[in-house]
Amino acid sequence: MNMLGLIFADEHDADVSELTTKRTFAAIPFGARYRLIDFFISNMTNSGIRNIGVVATTKYESLMGHVRYGGEWDLNRRKTGLTVLPPFSFFNGQVRYENVLEALQANISYITDYKEPYVLFTCCNAIGNIDYAAMLEKHIESGARFTCLCTRNPLNKEPGVATTEYKVDEDGRITDILIHDDVTEGAYVATHTYIMGRDDLLEILEESIDLNKKSLRMDVLKPALKDSKIMAYETDEKLLFIDSVSSYLQSNLDLLDKDLRCELFKKELRPIITRAGNSSPAFYGDCSNATNSLIAAGSVIEGTVKNSVIFRNVHVKKGAVIENCVINQDCTIGEGAMLNYAVLDKGVHINDKRLLSGYITHPFFVKSKSVI
Amino acid sequence: MARKKKCIAMLLAGGQGSRLAPLTENVAKPAVPFGGRYRIIDFSLSNCVNSNIDTVGVLTQYQPLELNDYLGTGDPWDLDLNYGGLHVLPPYQAAKGGDWFKGTANAIYQNQKFISNYDPDYILVLSGDHIYKMNYDIMLQEHIDNGADATIAVMDVPLEEASRFGIMSCDEKGLITEFAEKPAEPKSTLASMGVYVFNTDKLMKYLELDEQNPESDNDFGKNVIPAMLAGGEKLYAYLYKGYWRDVGTLSSYWSANMDTLGEDPELWLNDDGWRIYYRHDFQSPTYLGEHASLHNCNCAAGNEIDGHVSDSVLGSNITIEEGAVVKDSVIMSNVVIEKDAVVEYAIIDRDARICAGAKVGGDKETTELTVIAAGEEVVQ
Repeated sequence: MNMLGLIFADEHDADVSELTTKRTFAAIPFGARYRLIDFFISNMTNSGIRNIGVVATTKYESLMGHVRYGGEWDLNRRKTGLTVLPPFSFFNGQVRYENVLEALQANISYITDYKEPYVLFTCCNAIGNIDYAAMLEKHIESGARFTCLCTRNPLNKEPGVATTEYKVDEDGRITDILIHDDVTEGAYVATHTYIMGRDDLLEILEESIDLNKKSLRMDVLKPALKDSKIMAYETDEKLLFIDSVSSYLQSNLDLLDKDLRCELFKKELRPIITRAGNSSPAFYGDCSNATNSLIAAGSVIEGTVKNSVIFRNVHVKKGAVIENCVINQDCTIGEGAMLNYAVLDKGVHINDKRLLSGYITHPFFVKSKSVI
Repeated sequence: MARKKKCIAMLLAGGQGSRLAPLTENVAKPAVPFGGRYRIIDFSLSNCVNSNIDTVGVLTQYQPLELNDYLGTGDPWDLDLNYGGLHVLPPYQAAKGGDWFKGTANAIYQNQKFISNYDPDYILVLSGDHIYKMNYDIMLQEHIDNGADATIAVMDVPLEEASRFGIMSCDEKGLITEFAEKPAEPKSTLASMGVYVFNTDKLMKYLELDEQNPESDNDFGKNVIPAMLAGGEKLYAYLYKGYWRDVGTLSSYWSANMDTLGEDPELWLNDDGWRIYYRHDFQSPTYLGEHASLHNCNCAAGNEIDGHVSDSVLGSNITIEEGAVVKDSVIMSNVVIEKDAVVEYAIIDRDARICAGAKVGGDKETTELTVIAAGEEVVQ
């Protein structure tokens, strides 16, 4: 494969600050047994990419523990593979990169080390099963300088969260880039996934450092729109956005839809792979009543579970009723407890007979390791 | 630099397991799926690593392809080591010809070179076809404390079943005085579990003698152990009281699967203190549909279930459609049970399809266990 992959692990941390207190954005658990980064690494390896850099700046312990050397994706090879790129002291002495451009600037040496003529770089806020090889093909065919992934059907985009939109002409060329708080119906919404030539990228990065440029979208892409061919690549695949706790809940619950689930997980030759735990099979007790739910291994279900996503090693005790919830790994739900529209982070313990209720737009969020 | 291991394990995984047919038609018995997401051999291998034994020779012979694939480099059990780890030991050709493994003892005899690489003081000999959780370290310690030449793990079995096993008679300290392989009139109820610890030098001596005897079946239970007893060696019995099942027959295989069910299962798979490790196949999470009901079931990943399932063990990537009923059954991976089909008291092997409205098996009190072979399609 002639393309290098770069994943920005914490570009959207602030959008879901509840879920990123102890982990970086890319390590957010999703869909009963995955973490967000699984989709991006899997998409890349399924597209033939063999060298992947994961740029992480803060709270990357759980991320590194999860991806390790990329063995699950067969990336732990001698000559190629996955590299986690933690921050190191770079030119302006900051600890944290403010944006994608800075993250790229800080990792010039990584990009320089690899000779693939193209570079794909992406944030982790839009989940889908995307064929990057097809995107590269389009990039080469169109002779574009940049190709930017976008969708006109962004699922669960939270109103009020900054959204990047492209204005696109009939040839697919981007004519303007707008950032605003609401999604315009039918607009081309950016996913922050780009393909460009390696040498061009390195040149841009050198120049942007010299000129103290700060934003890829506003200081690099936008000024280049007039003179360079910057193309939109609109995907037909479903893209689930995660930019708030309620969109996190909704995107998880969307997986209960068979078509969407098949599109995401059961694509021929394009599996989404994650790090294996070593859980036993899930156990369903005599009084269990679980319907329309995704339930991971290692869980013990003795109560009622409806329209929910249950991660590994969750214990739902007798008489507990869970509806429209996302319950992360290692949670215990006590006897007779009732949860509706709740999002439980990892290791939460709900005592017997507790009642928690939120709404789809305002889920009841319980932070990791809480006891209620 | 000379290196050595205190104890290595030799795991006998070459048997055909013909009584488990059709499950073993194309796969060695140790590689037969068990408990939803395990293979039978996972129990012995996990016991090894949980007992701090990190060097395991797996002796294969019958239908080794799937077993070899499954074992791979031994990474699921952390047995992918530079010195030690998991080694598959198939029969081989040598300068002076080559042989199939003639028996369990001969299989180990032929792999003396492997053993000498680790210069172990003790050798643990195991079968790859039993379901149990056992700390071999405790047994080894007892072996050392007794100053034994060999120690045989035994279980107390009901007298009426004793004639199916190798039966030991012991003195009050556990020293074996008599050994009888499948005796018609058993003198004791201590049955061999097929788990042995030997002092390496003693084992090698008796394997050499056994090899020179043309009359021998080259079998541990039949030949080597009686020879050691006759030779006046100190053989001790190690009494094991935990869960152990020989899943040699279809009905014992079925009931061992059922032992993983219940609120307080006889065979607890989710035991953090004694993990059973397995090779993962990548599956999405299990989806339970609007009409699904699962009661007293184990259910692995990647399943799409919309039917009624009770008292059953389900593997991975299974589809059970609306209206289908599954009861008292073991369903292996990639099985499809279509709309309104009924499966009761059955083992359904991998890739089988039970077509819409078909009926398999019957009430477990009144009918025999039904087995549907891998890839079979049941229309009626």
